Amino acid sequence: MRLLRNPLVLAGLAILALLAIGEAVAPGFAGAGQLRSQFVIAAMLGVIAAGQNLVILAGREGIDLSVGAMLGLGALVAGNVMNGDNAMILAGLGAAVAVTGAFGLLNGLGITILRIPPLVMTLGMAGVIQGLLIILTSGRPSGRAAPALTRFIIDPLVVGIPGLVFVWAGLALLLIWFLRRSRAGLNIYAIGTNQEAARLSGVPVTATRILVFALSGAFSGITGFLILGYTQSVFIGVGNAYVLPSIIAVVIGGTPLSGGTGGYTGTIAGAILLTLLQSLLNAMAIEPFGRQIIFGVVLIGLMLIYGRQDRLRT
Amino acid sequence: MSLLVAENIRKAFGSTLALDGASLTVEPGQVHGLIGSNGCGKSTLCKIAAGSVGADEGRLRFDGREGFFGTPAAAAAAGIAVFYQELSLIPDLDVAENIALGHEPRRRGMVDGAAIHREGARLLARFGSAGGKGLTPGALVRDLSADQRQIAEICKILARAPKLVIFDEATSSLDGDQVQIFFEIVRALREAGTGIIFISHRMDELFAICDRITVMRDGRTEATLPVAGTDREAVLTLMVGSALATRHRDEAPPRPGAPVLEVAGLSNAVLRDVSFTLHEGEILGLGGLHGQGQSAVLRAIFGADPATGSVRLGGTSQDRRSPAAAIRAGLGYVSGDRGVNGVFLDRPILENMAIASLSKSRAAVFRPRAFVERVGEIVARLNLRFAGYDFPLRTLSGGNQQKVVIARWLATGPRVLLLDDPTKGIDVEAKADLYAIIDELAAEGVAILLHSSEDEELLTTAHRVLVFGSGRIRADLAGEALTPTALYRAAYEVSAA
Repeated sequence: MRLLRNPLVLAGLAILALLAIGEAVAPGFAGAGQLRSQFVIAAMLGVIAAGQNLVILAGREGIDLSVGAMLGLGALVAGNVMNGDNAMILAGLGAAVAVTGAFGLLNGLGITILRIPPLVMTLGMAGVIQGLLIILTSGRPSGRAAPALTRFIIDPLVVGIPGLVFVWAGLALLLIWFLRRSRAGLNIYAIGTNQEAARLSGVPVTATRILVFALSGAFSGITGFLILGYTQSVFIGVGNAYVLPSIIAVVIGGTPLSGGTGGYTGTIAGAILLTLLQSLLNAMAIEPFGRQIIFGVVLIGLMLIYGRQDRLRT
Repeated sequence: MSLLVAENIRKAFGSTLALDGASLTVEPGQVHGLIGSNGCGKSTLCKIAAGSVGADEGRLRFDGREGFFGTPAAAAAAGIAVFYQELSLIPDLDVAENIALGHEPRRRGMVDGAAIHREGARLLARFGSAGGKGLTPGALVRDLSADQRQIAEICKILARAPKLVIFDEATSSLDGDQVQIFFEIVRALREAGTGIIFISHRMDELFAICDRITVMRDGRTEATLPVAGTDREAVLTLMVGSALATRHRDEAPPRPGAPVLEVAGLSNAVLRDVSFTLHEGEILGLGGLHGQGQSAVLRAIFGADPATGSVRLGGTSQDRRSPAAAIRAGLGYVSGDRGVNGVFLDRPILENMAIASLSKSRAAVFRPRAFVERVGEIVARLNLRFAGYDFPLRTLSGGNQQKVVIARWLATGPRVLLLDDPTKGIDVEAKADLYAIIDELAAEGVAILLHSSEDEELLTTAHRVLVFGSGRIRADLAGEALTPTALYRAAYEVSAA
């Protein structure tokens, strides 16, 4: 019973249930080929949700609604730096991370120094970036991914698993280590749990809060770079569909919106769960609105289960 | 017939006995003073009379009616009004609406706004011009200053024409003129036959306005004296009692070490020009009534609150004060308000212990094994037991949580420990452990600044005590001069006979 109280275990069970239902409804759903493409999609969501995870963990109503626009910005910058040239892959990644990280830094400065609520600051920033992108590109796709990047992301690298999944796994290990073993990571938890106690323990509260928003920008930029590699060229609005899923993946992974507890392991499960759920609903022959209803009901149901756990714990 | 009779009231909060043998008799048309040291139970006794706290044992009679009040509303309906230290005004209503709240005059079924504001103006007029600019019936409470709010609160009570009014520290934010006007209103209430309970720490006010004074100590009523037949010295003696009459710490203070912490001219919203020097191995107590600047001075030294003035640590001036800078300079700060200022309840015990050391060393990477090795000795020394370092802190009792916070600071190897009422709300055993460790640390040369809300703790632990009043140091007591009577005398501003 104690295991069942763990959000991570619950999410894992939900994933297995989804696979079983999927296989029953549409044979082949849990097959290797299908799973491979599911993981590629989940990886994109997982990387963008990593930044969202850090922002939410740091508490104080932390949320980043600009991740979608940042993703578009990252893809545009990476695409224009690479422009189809294999030699420019790392430069493209670096440029995307630098630009989106800088915009994330602005988010952090606005929230800490100017005391603008995160919801308003990041929504405003999303609007500014989206507008900038339209002005810069006149709304047309701009820049191209390097072919080697596309191959690396889509084609099986080792034992049939595409390179992108390894990238995600690497980032995940790095992030989990960061949250458990680095001073900055522990400081994020500290300010998310009790900001005043953190300040009195010498934690640089403002710098840590700015850091999480900068990192969220950078993770969005990385996601933009990866999505560009996946689809070779992107429209600027490509990120909009990621904003809410990035938040939901974090929350169903066991990090509450109030912050302070949880971590990235749960978010990984959340990203996979969300991807499978969407894909299962697509596989079932239900009209689109029916799918939306089921999607909403399942999410609310999951939250209900978590809420019950919370009550049991106290 | 007496208006209020409370007899042999007993009340326990958990394992703490707040009242045992508390009695109070208030006559109509008299002002009855209630005095006693911090935590003696006077507020609890008043809350029981007003129905907001239940009693375990005892008897209550009010206005001929026998029995305790089950709810504050029942007490209010019977004619008891309470002036709360935490004001009960609604910021977004105007003054007159607040005064009328809950008993608005009606006209044809509708609230009569004009009558509300007429009544408000009538009550405010009793304060004349003392309320200052802006105190009008139509002014929003949120726009008023602290003293204006207090006047509005008093008007709210007067509007109900109660039989008994309890004023709990009603004069604390009034200036001299306003106190005089407040006294005139109290006298007018007395003329009208109202009974009044007046709780104050200011001896001068008690002797100026009261007919009788009841002294409480340790949850018990010591005596009730007519003001005409007593003096301040007699009241003070009753407050101190015999239990505290001798000082427990009889060994001589250690040979004075080198000065470690030099504070000069520290001032802010609470503090007024505070200066003192703390030496190596010295336990310097901060005493006085609640909230007279003891916590404020600790927070200012630690950089938690802004303040002007200078702080020198080991001869080095601390100009840009912040908690982070203070930690690196060798300070540690433990607060009695663990929930707000100390603990990360959902985080592992280990992280709760390590966080200040990480801030001090600025190491980028946390090495749990190395830290556990280092902190193990401190944990043993604190007599601290837990199931494992990875368990969340909330699995521990309050006393053990506070020990974890102490371990956090000991792990940084501090030169000066600032302890802000560290034993608040923890069990007796943990208290004893904490005081043992404080003694040991001092013997090892750590300088300790200790604020305690329990005078007995200061007397048994500190080598020297600074008594605070209104943000200033009122007395610096050490050696022979450090006696319970001297402590009370300074706290209550009673000059030596």
